[in-house]
Parts: sequence; structure tokens; C-alpha cells
Amino acid sequence: MRIVALAAVLAALACADAGQAANGWWTFKRQTNIDSTLSWKWTYPPSAAEYSRSWRAGSGSSPSECRPAEGWLPAGWYSQWGHWNQYDGSAVRGRVWWLQDKYCRDGVTRRTELFIHSEETASNGQNCTSAYDDPFCWERAADYYSLGCIKLARPSPVADFPNDLGNAHTTYHNYGGKSDHGASSDAYELYVFD
Amino acid sequence: MAPKPLLLSTVALALIAAACGSAPETAERSAARPRGIYAVGEHVFGLDGKPAVELAAAPVAPLAGWLTPAGAPSPDGRYLAYNAWKELRRDDPALSWDDQGIEPGDPLATPSIRLYELASGNDAVLQDGAFSLAWRADGALAYFKGAERDYRAGVPYVGDVFVRPGPDAPPERWSPERGRYVVVGWAGRTLIGYREREGEALDVVAFDEPGRMRILAPDAGLVAISPDGRRVFVEQGPAQGRPNLRVLEIANAAVVARLDLTRVDPGVGTVNYAGDWRGDRVVASSASGLALFRVSSRAIRLERAIRVQGPGLSEPRFADAGRHVVAWASSRHGGVLVDCEETTADCDRFRPLTDAAGVHGFPVWRRNLYNPSRPLQEG
Repeated sequence: MRIVALAAVLAALACADAGQAANGWWTFKRQTNIDSTLSWKWTYPPSAAEYSRSWRAGSGSSPSECRPAEGWLPAGWYSQWGHWNQYDGSAVRGRVWWLQDKYCRDGVTRRTELFIHSEETASNGQNCTSAYDDPFCWERAADYYSLGCIKLARPSPVADFPNDLGNAHTTYHNYGGKSDHGASSDAYELYVFD
Repeated sequence: MAPKPLLLSTVALALIAAACGSAPETAERSAARPRGIYAVGEHVFGLDGKPAVELAAAPVAPLAGWLTPAGAPSPDGRYLAYNAWKELRRDDPALSWDDQGIEPGDPLATPSIRLYELASGNDAVLQDGAFSLAWRADGALAYFKGAERDYRAGVPYVGDVFVRPGPDAPPERWSPERGRYVVVGWAGRTLIGYREREGEALDVVAFDEPGRMRILAPDAGLVAISPDGRRVFVEQGPAQGRPNLRVLEIANAAVVARLDLTRVDPGVGTVNYAGDWRGDRVVASSASGLALFRVSSRAIRLERAIRVQGPGLSEPRFADAGRHVVAWASSRHGGVLVDCEETTADCDRFRPLTDAAGVHGFPVWRRNLYNPSRPLQEG
């Protein structure tokens, strides 16, 4: 895990009720499909001082943001429209954040069904059974590839990756993210840029 | 509606050609216009007996991208069926929905499938609230229709797959349950398409008859249907493990050939969906441009990789008896058509003028139109 934080973060961490007044948002800096940076940033209004934590993250298998099911997340601002701890979808499970649909840069093609997630079961566990790639087991760096979503690593019985999903989840809730779970339209946003 | 005369500005756009990649700029070699059928905004070129026609709307399928053609000519050449998209409110991609005041459930757009009749020039909505279509050899038309007409913010656009025996016949539901489907093409009497899940996960599926759907290839993309309509060529990218290609029997989903893409020219990298299969050859877009494969009864062999600089290519089609490949790429100014000669790997590029205006809020958009169903004789 890479952590990029301002020095003031330490002081903020010491405040037990720091999350009550924080205002947070995500950023995603696109570098490569399997080595980009997801950050959670927050402030304590009215102070403009900005704090952040960052993690390695992946998105897509191609830098062509207009290719559905292949390209990384299109650039721009997103609304986050839901957060679940035990999401039980067919392809995405566990701790997830649901993002709005987005026109890509061609102005025509819409990317849909976008999430921030990892590879884990709905109960936040790991299902590692096969020789190569299980969809709900984080085995290797290639798991950073996605069909378009942002993906974070987590530990598994077969690989020693950092608990970036868990840390992002905790940071989100402690520093400005909503405590509620489920679908909701809230002020938390994601900014995707190069 | 009578067909409108071709705009001079459109002619000018179509004649703008430049060399692509490392190919020399040989103006005398450049084709007068791209091969095959293609759209420039709402104008369509290359239809039989028509130098150009102007449609009522630009053929685009925002909810499908190029998983499926934006439009397809009917097997008898009488019609062009195409996807259209009517925005109900502006959605600026630079801004979040919250910042634009878009609330959950707000109607954003209406997709529709339109039918253009070449002889009369009549251009009418065949089905509102629908997108993605496929013509069968006998003229039956399949499409996906949403449970609701409008695409709404934060509401997955679920619906069903329908088939009409002919454009005027009543539709019959073929999907066994509601879902997110994209129709691609017919393989004989079997309809091939996608079922989409969270995270844009795609399963290649087959609809054999009303109410009967099978998964042919989970977590995969469809490159092409074989000329005889018995097999499909599918790809899997690195998000599903080791990138690979497979040929499957449609009847039973058995894998008859497989190629591990990590064991061929690394320039190929990955292979993308929406390619073409003619004879024993398959063309697909790849990470570096185009990849051509030979398919035998038990094997897939990389025949050639054509490197094409610039943005990734989409929907490559064989043209000119397989001597050329025509594809397109997405740029900030719209689609750019690329015509590559297979033996020399030289590519001509047909791009819109940088200051050209789009139509209906869309950029100038160039994209080839085709019918991926097999067996089928294309125009």
C-alpha cells in the first residue's frame, strides 16, 4: 500500500470525532490499468486544509475509456450513488461503492454498471479454489485488471497483498464518508483524471 | 420521408484522407472513400444503389458502445435498421449528476430502433425504448427492449429480447427473464448476444427459441460468428485471467480450438470483441492495431499483427475480398475510419475536419455499419 498524506493527517487521526465534521471525496489518477492511484480526500470545513490517503488501484484492461467492458473509467466527476458492505451481485460482491453512469470522451458511448470494489465474497471473505483465477479471490497483480471498475487489493489465503480495500473502507467511514449503507444519492463524489 | 440530397460538406468530409501509422503518404494509393457501409453523422454511405442517404437520426447505441453494430442492412437489402438516441436532458460528462441536479430516476434519454427503407426513403421508429438489433437471413429481426421506454439515472436499463419474423410482424419475447441484454447477431436460427452484469461483466449467450437461453462463454467477448453459423470466436482479456481466444461450437458450447495470447507476438497483447470472420480467417482489433488469425478445425494461429498508431481500432471488417480491413477509431473529434491493405499493412485514415460540426449534440461520427449474422450474404 502506498500512503500519500499530509503531515496534518496524524493530528486528524488523533481526533476521535474527526469524522463527524469532515467532508470527503474520492479521486482516481489514471496511470496504468493495474497501477493507478485511488485517494480519499477530506477537509474540515470551513478550513481549506486538505488531507488524503491513497492506495494502488486498477481500472479496465485498456486505456481507451470509450470501450465498454474493457477501457478504464472515463475522466470527469462522478456521483457516488450507493455503498454496501455485503453487496451480493453476480460479478461484484462485498464492500463496494456504486458510481453513476458516464459518457466517455467521445460524447456518445455511455459506461454503465461502475463500481469501486475488490475480489471478495459478499461476506467479505475469499473463495480461492482454482489453479488460476477465481472471481472472488485476490490472487495476483493481474487482479487489478477490471472491465472498467476501480479495483483495490486485499489479502487472501493464496497471496500477500495489502488490505487496501479494508483501509479505504475504514478511511471512508472515519473521514467524511456516510455511515449509511445501501443505495443513496449523496454528496460524495469521485474525480477521475490523468 | 424522401431521401435528402447529400450535403457538399459531407462529401468533403468523406474525401479527407491521410496516411496512418508509419505508412507513407501516397495520395495516389488512397481510396476515394472507405470501403463498405459506414455512417458520417446521420449520413450513410455504401448502401446498395445509393451513393449516400440521410437518416432521421445519427446511428448510435450509447448503451452498447460497439458491442453490437450501430446499424445493420437487412439481408435482402431493402432496409437499414439502426439505433438512435434522443437525449431528454443534457448530461455533461465533465460534471457529476449531482452537480447537474440529476436525481435518481430522472429520465435522461430514449433509445430507439429505426427502420430506413431504401426504396422509399421512409425512415420510421420500429421500436421505442429499445437498442441493439440483429437481422436473421430470412428477414426476422431481433432486438432488446427495455422494461421502460426511457433510460433513467441510477436505474439499470433492464428488459427483454424480442424477435419479429418480419418488420411488420408482432414481436415475440425470447429471453426467459428480464435482464440487461445486448443483441449481436444470428448464427443460423440461434440468436447470439450478451447478458451484462455488474461492473460491465459480459456473458456471451445463445437464445435458441422463445424462453430458452444458454451461456456460451461466461466473462467473454464475441469476436465473430463463423461463416457457416456453427461456431463463435470469443476472447477473454486479462481481467479474467490469462488473455486467450477460443472457438466454440454453438450447439453445445464445446471448445474446439484455443490460443493463449501470452504465447504469441507480444505486440498483440489483447484481442477485442466485434471483429469479422471470413473463410478461415478472423480479424480483430488488438492492443497494437489489428490481428489476423487462421482458424482450422482444431487450432487458432496468429497469421499477422498489423500495428496501427493512434487510438485503438474498433469493429474491423474484411473488405475487397479480404484484401482490405476497414475499422474505425474514436477520437475527440469523432470517429476516424481506417482502411488497411492486408498485404502491405499500409493504412489510409479518413478523419473528420477538426472544426466540423456534429449533429444532434453528437460529434462528427464515423463508424462502419454491418450485419454480423451468419450465414448471410452481405451487400
